[in-house]
Amino acid sequence: MSIPHITTQTNLATDFVPSLLAERPVISARHVNFAFGEGDLQKQILFDVNLEVGSGEIVLLTGPSGSGKTTLLTLIGALRKVRDGELDVLSRPLHHATLEDLVNVRREIGFIFQQHNLLPFMTARQNVQLMFHLHPEVSTHEAAKRTVDLLTSVGLGERLDYYPARLSGGQKQRVAIARALAASPRLILADEPTAALDSQSGRDVVNLLQELARNQKCPILMVTHDPRILDVADRIVNMEDGRVHSVEG
Amino acid sequence: MPSSFFVAWCQLSHSRVKLTVAAAGVVVAVMLMLVQLGIRQGAMDNSVAVARRVTADLVVVSPRTKTIFASAQFPRRLLYRLGSHPDVTVISEMYMGQGRLRNPWNKLEFPVSLYGLDPGSAMMNLPGIEKYESQLNDIDRVLYDGLSRKNYGPIRQYLETHETLDVEVNFRKVRIVDSIEVGISINTDGNLFTSSANFLRLFPDRNPGAVDLGLIRLKPDADLVAVKKVLQPYLGKEAKVITRQELIDAETVFIRENAPIDFIFGMGAAIGFFIGFVVVYQILYTEVTNHLPQYATLKAMGFSDRYLLFVVLNQSIILAMLGYFPGFVLALGLYRIATKAIQMQFSMTVERAVFVFLLTVIMCGFSAMIAIRKVRTADPADVF
Ligand SMILES: Nc1ncnc2c1ncn2[C@@H]1O[C@H](COP(=O)(O)OP(=O)(O)OP(=O)(O)O)[C@@H](O)[C@H]1O
Ligand SMILES: [Mg+2]
Repeated sequence: MSIPHITTQTNLATDFVPSLLAERPVISARHVNFAFGEGDLQKQILFDVNLEVGSGEIVLLTGPSGSGKTTLLTLIGALRKVRDGELDVLSRPLHHATLEDLVNVRREIGFIFQQHNLLPFMTARQNVQLMFHLHPEVSTHEAAKRTVDLLTSVGLGERLDYYPARLSGGQKQRVAIARALAASPRLILADEPTAALDSQSGRDVVNLLQELARNQKCPILMVTHDPRILDVADRIVNMEDGRVHSVEG
Repeated sequence: MPSSFFVAWCQLSHSRVKLTVAAAGVVVAVMLMLVQLGIRQGAMDNSVAVARRVTADLVVVSPRTKTIFASAQFPRRLLYRLGSHPDVTVISEMYMGQGRLRNPWNKLEFPVSLYGLDPGSAMMNLPGIEKYESQLNDIDRVLYDGLSRKNYGPIRQYLETHETLDVEVNFRKVRIVDSIEVGISINTDGNLFTSSANFLRLFPDRNPGAVDLGLIRLKPDADLVAVKKVLQPYLGKEAKVITRQELIDAETVFIRENAPIDFIFGMGAAIGFFIGFVVVYQILYTEVTNHLPQYATLKAMGFSDRYLLFVVLNQSIILAMLGYFPGFVLALGLYRIATKAIQMQFSMTVERAVFVFLLTVIMCGFSAMIAIRKVRTADPADVF
């Protein structure tokens, strides 16, 4: 099965985005500061970060190593607590959130990590289908069907019942993408999803992400160093030394 | 099927070797616990076997008797006083002693327990002894316990084809008239039953007026406790009357306090528990440690700590199940072998089966609880 390809022209997208921004941003960070450690050992990593991502936007986050991109992504992904500043994700104020709130936000986000981190003891199909446990409103039958559709759409229809050990790096990363998209997330966060892949499979993965996200009208915030994939972006945010340095678009 | 259970099963069964090792650990633990506790029970039951064999309603013993295997005697004349009570129907006495029976084949002597009683109203569960009443009342006639150890030679087999067998007991020639099946215990290798008169012939030094046990049969509708209260004053300080159950209880207490049965076999069971615990813990801990990044990933995607705890807990429960049932079957086999080998009865009881099952679940659950602490350290923020 192949997904109808939607060609995104950059100028079209930039025209399109502001109107959406006017509605309600999916991510809205205002004056976010973040530091690791306590007391004397405290080291500030993020300085007064302001960032908005609107519905349907693909935003790339670039910047030198150690500039705080991953840290910002973990804050947005509700994987760390925001202590200073305000951060709304999917209309939920994370700066006031309890651990339970954080877990609930995570369930609406599709994460794609640099490492695929698939469960090695479960097949591709089982890894993807496991996500539906978090969404009991989807029937088992429906979940099974969507799992097959997703894996087919990432080109793994023939390898549904392979264990990760028998898949190539690119194939594993594609399973991870299918998993991230399984339960119809409302936001996708990806941290260098192509870093472990050769240029061709990296390109495939990004195209896939782009197509699937467009189909599901779901915004993507992606950290990347890979210059070959910058063209998919609606907007590129550059970070340096913990500050959002420049916004190109 | 809950999804955490499914994940647990996938994780556990992914490597057959690992699963086999873990399950084998539990099997060994279960088997050890069942066998040790079974032997403990068997040894215990066995030690009180003689007391359990008593069928009299009331028993008279010396107040100095701690166990009937080393009983103190009391004057026989005291028993005659009790016959006047309207509820008492039969009174009989019993002598017990350790003699030496000479194996007629290899001419070696082995200790043997001798019982002198009234074969017509033994008030002991000695199946079939009544049939030999007249024979045992003849001079120097004894009845052999067919379940005695083989030390004494193939007496039982011999009696299947021959009428009688002449043997030497305490340097006296006696005739074995037949064998009945009674059963031995830790304290005895073999039993011989005969009349009081024959008993005293075999123990010429014993005072005929001093008996080991008095056995009293009451009318079927008599009130045990009430009669006991009435009878006691007749015996004064030289003897005491107790119920059959009190005799059994006293024996049990004596064994508990004087033989290290509880300790030795309790220890064996504890070691089984410990082995199982260590194996299961080791397996679960390495499983969790090796998959910490994957667990952290699941947490990042919105799975709760609770879910992951259940994944680990379910693995321990699966191991408990996989180990218990084969362990149970193996233990049954070992009971059978042990019963044959040491001629002592070992049997499975529902209580023990349930008790060890619970111990197994606790053992596995406890291992999981400790391994689970590691799951909490999986930090979803470390995944990126
Ligand atoms: N868990 C942590 N504890 C303490 N300091 C940390 C921790 N994680 C990251 N840092 C520090 O925070 C800074 C920013 O790290 P971060 O991972 O956000 O950078 P990055 O922009 O993602 O870099 P890269 O492009 O190399 O992935 C670094 O200086 C790093 O040393
Ligand atoms: Mg990073």
